[in-house]
Amino acid sequence: MSELPIPSSSPDSAARASEVADHLLPSAGPALIQVRGVGKTYFRGKEPTAVLKNLDLQVPQGAFEALMGPSGSGKSTLLNLIAGLDRPSTGSIVVAGADLTHLSDSALAKWRARTIGFIFQTYNLMPVLTAQENVELPLLLTNLPAKERRRRAQTALRVVGLADRMSHYPRQLSGGQEQRVAIARAIVNDPMLLVADEPTGDLDRQSADEILTLLLTLNRDLKKTIIMVTHDPAAAARASRTRRLDKGALI
Amino acid sequence: MNLVGVSVKNVGRNKLRTLLTVLGIAVAVVAFVLLRTVLTAWTVGADFAAKDRIGTRNKVTFIMPLPKRYLETIRNVPGVTDACYANWFGGKDPNHEREFFASMAVQTQTFFSVFDEIIVAPADKERWLGDRKGALVGDVLARKLGWKVGDKITLTGSIYPGDWQFQIDGIYGATRKVVDRSTFFFHWDYLNESLPDGGRQRDQIGWVTSRIKDPSRAADISQAIDKIFDDQEIQTLSMSERAMNLSFLGMLSTVLKAIDVISLVILAIMMLILGNTIAMGARERTREFGVMRAIGFLPHHIAISVLAESLAVGALGGCLGLLLAYPLVQGGMGRWLEENMGSFFPYFRIAETTALAAVGLALLLALIAGILPAYRASRLHVIEALRRVG
Repeated sequence: MSELPIPSSSPDSAARASEVADHLLPSAGPALIQVRGVGKTYFRGKEPTAVLKNLDLQVPQGAFEALMGPSGSGKSTLLNLIAGLDRPSTGSIVVAGADLTHLSDSALAKWRARTIGFIFQTYNLMPVLTAQENVELPLLLTNLPAKERRRRAQTALRVVGLADRMSHYPRQLSGGQEQRVAIARAIVNDPMLLVADEPTGDLDRQSADEILTLLLTLNRDLKKTIIMVTHDPAAAARASRTRRLDKGALI
Repeated sequence: MNLVGVSVKNVGRNKLRTLLTVLGIAVAVVAFVLLRTVLTAWTVGADFAAKDRIGTRNKVTFIMPLPKRYLETIRNVPGVTDACYANWFGGKDPNHEREFFASMAVQTQTFFSVFDEIIVAPADKERWLGDRKGALVGDVLARKLGWKVGDKITLTGSIYPGDWQFQIDGIYGATRKVVDRSTFFFHWDYLNESLPDGGRQRDQIGWVTSRIKDPSRAADISQAIDKIFDDQEIQTLSMSERAMNLSFLGMLSTVLKAIDVISLVILAIMMLILGNTIAMGARERTREFGVMRAIGFLPHHIAISVLAESLAVGALGGCLGLLLAYPLVQGGMGRWLEENMGSFFPYFRIAETTALAAVGLALLLALIAGILPAYRASRLHVIEALRRVG
């Protein structure tokens, strides 16, 4: 497992990074995510509901893409499929060279631990753990010694600008700080892909801007590919590309 | 930090609920320890019985007498060094109607050689042996009823009706803790001579306690005694003192069994309380389990997490219960029972096995209580779990 590098930018320089982000073009790197002919149908009783229909998508490595669309358009479902949290009804999904449709549940969980960092709208931190312990949580799945786990968690917290909040509990942090801890938890394993489901949905504008700037920094300096579901056009504008879904299809 | 450490931290998530659950378990453990100690104390007299004594009673039942003449025959059985007979008197002090104590008419001539654990001041002993109406009472009983040497008292007989006059000639102690120091001993001759001549109770004894030279031959000697009386109208049943005490306890077997069952029922209730708490906690943490599954934890990690929490609460409750049990059961209540109900509980102490069983069962039941919530939590679908609110 590679060690998380500290980005060259500080939170101050991150602001500068965000200014230029709008001018960035989608990365021309190889496709990290390949979605081919994917459909997803849920059943309510015996009644099928098609949420995604024959969807094709390629996301290059190093991209920062936003998924937008009305409620029920299938954007969260697509995000869950890409992150290996769910399986498509039809089609195939290859992420970072792994065909997710052919992995067992156990293999898929291990793959997620190595490859994906999750950022949720409501942060989903454990209230009984400190910021550092929350960030350390994914490392419990590794064979790293306790000292090394602590060191990496501290590094991740420094990356998100919370070096002085390591021993704080979530209830002692603001919403923006909680989300930063969640981002530190998402990057502590140095995953290739970050999936963010409405990461600014619960934040005020200023905190949301800070989080988006942080995501941009992670994308630019740590080369993290980011897929972000959002309803917020301002948030989507910070991504290098925005894709829109409606009724289960990309438009 | 490790997964179990994270789970243990969850114990403090809802402090009031955890506190109430831990207290509930602790109370159950105290009740369990108390009831088990009652059982142990009840049988401890039997367990600590002298190994070099055997008892002989009527083969039919404990409450039917033997002819007094059997004593000499028993005394002459090879291996028997001495023997002493006794009758259960069943007397009550009219001034203390509600105080129960054992009262026995004993053969005074051999009493101290057969029951050598009983100690009494030489002058008191001399006085008692020479006084037909003299009584020898345990120090615990004397203290409880306010008796002292020289007091004249009257007991009302239940098996032998009427008022019986006595003088307290001596107060005894014991060399061993398990000896009941609440018994009232008096002369068998006084009892026998007061019964109507030719009456069915005259010259009848309740049982014979024999001292034997070699404890390893207790079974052989018992058989030899019983064989002698096989052809007699009244047959005997001889056994070690321990077995005899246990056969007496056998009359209480239903009560003892009920106590045994109740002690386990209490722990079962504890398990249900804990199971409910753990299930509630697990339900509240559904989203967290979803997050854990999302970031790569496997179902068995989730199950371990829930079980560890259940075990932690069980361990807390078990240990707290045991900590409370020692001063309550052994210190306060135990001392009171020994002093005031020495006939039943001469030695009321928490046995090591009881303490270990209490904590062990608390842990085992905590584990069982956590199984269903753990299984359910481990089977959660990631996305469903992440969507769960509250």
